[in-house]
Amino acid sequence: MQANEDALRGLMIDGLDGDAAAHAALLRLLVPLLRGFYRRRASGSDDDIEDLVQETLIAVHTRRVTYDRDRAFTAWLFAIARYKMVDHFRRGRRLCPIDGLEDMLIAEDFESASTARLDMEGLLADLPAKQARMIRATRLDGLSVAEAAQAGGIGESDVKVSVHRGLKALVARIQGERR
Amino acid sequence: MNTDDLISRLSQDVPPVRRNAVGWRIAIGILLGALVSGGYVLLSMGIRPDLGEAMHGFAFWMKWGYTLSLSVAALVVTAQLARPDTRRLRWLWVIAIPVALLAGVGALELIRTPSGEWLAMWLGHSWRTCPWRVLTLAMPIFVGLLWSFRRLAPTRLRAAGAAAGLAAGAFAATVYCLHCPEVSAIFVLTWYSLGILLAASVGALLGPRLLRW
Repeated sequence: MQANEDALRGLMIDGLDGDAAAHAALLRLLVPLLRGFYRRRASGSDDDIEDLVQETLIAVHTRRVTYDRDRAFTAWLFAIARYKMVDHFRRGRRLCPIDGLEDMLIAEDFESASTARLDMEGLLADLPAKQARMIRATRLDGLSVAEAAQAGGIGESDVKVSVHRGLKALVARIQGERR
Repeated sequence: MNTDDLISRLSQDVPPVRRNAVGWRIAIGILLGALVSGGYVLLSMGIRPDLGEAMHGFAFWMKWGYTLSLSVAALVVTAQLARPDTRRLRWLWVIAIPVALLAGVGALELIRTPSGEWLAMWLGHSWRTCPWRVLTLAMPIFVGLLWSFRRLAPTRLRAAGAAAGLAAGAFAATVYCLHCPEVSAIFVLTWYSLGILLAASVGALLGPRLLRW
């Protein structure tokens, strides 16, 4: 059976009505879901992830009265999973949150964005001043054509032509460098 | 333990769950605690001798109206915090209604009373002990709620602790009304509320430690 919201919710409600087989089926379907959930968010050995999965299954079982039949099942499940994970980190056990890694990724992104910006400035410096200014306004600063036209004191079609010619020249230069 | 074994062990015990099981569990916990508090009032403080007579008066029902409605409002918030997937708390503002109403009665009282008697009316006979007694009586009820929470799943532990403490305090004040002979609204508004707030603070302080699961 597939682990989608409707199927899981149906099994949960059957379990709440006292159907032990449905409850067992539900818990079995949750295992791969929870493994995926924790692997994406925590780094550690498979055994540690499995501990967390088991803890969550026990919580889903012992605290099943808190599921409101009128609400989404997955939201309830992942609220429990998230709580269990935060609690796990707070107790300072073996798993490490991938949060730190996320910060690192953001820093790398910033770095590459700033070097790209520097490259861009170098390329634009070789273009005629008006073309460079219009590309900067419309492509880097995010102005619309109309806004760029107003800011530069020129017509809209002039902006479009400048950007088009400028980009064409840039493409030609980059391709020329590659060759 | 192997995860499959765990699942088969867990699935051996699947009792049916009623629709409003969270509410029931909280109600049972609070009533069990209130029985202990009531017993304590009965045996150690003593029920006010004129209780039957007082029940015909306005002051008694004003006090009970205040503490009971506050208990209900606090329980509504507690029940929401007992579920893991509650994002926004609703009905939080309801807590302000009994307080505002009692403040209104208190203002009327002050207008009708000569200002020379205000201090005596405000302090009553028991202002020193009242908040502490409310706090003491709240403890068994709070313990009852801790029992309720053993099957519940709060994820904001401090908020849940505060709400449980507030409910315990307000219910304790309801029980305390059986003993307390004070009649003035500003007395209740100050000293009862102080006891209830103390209970809520204790709950907020202990929540992260005791409600963890």
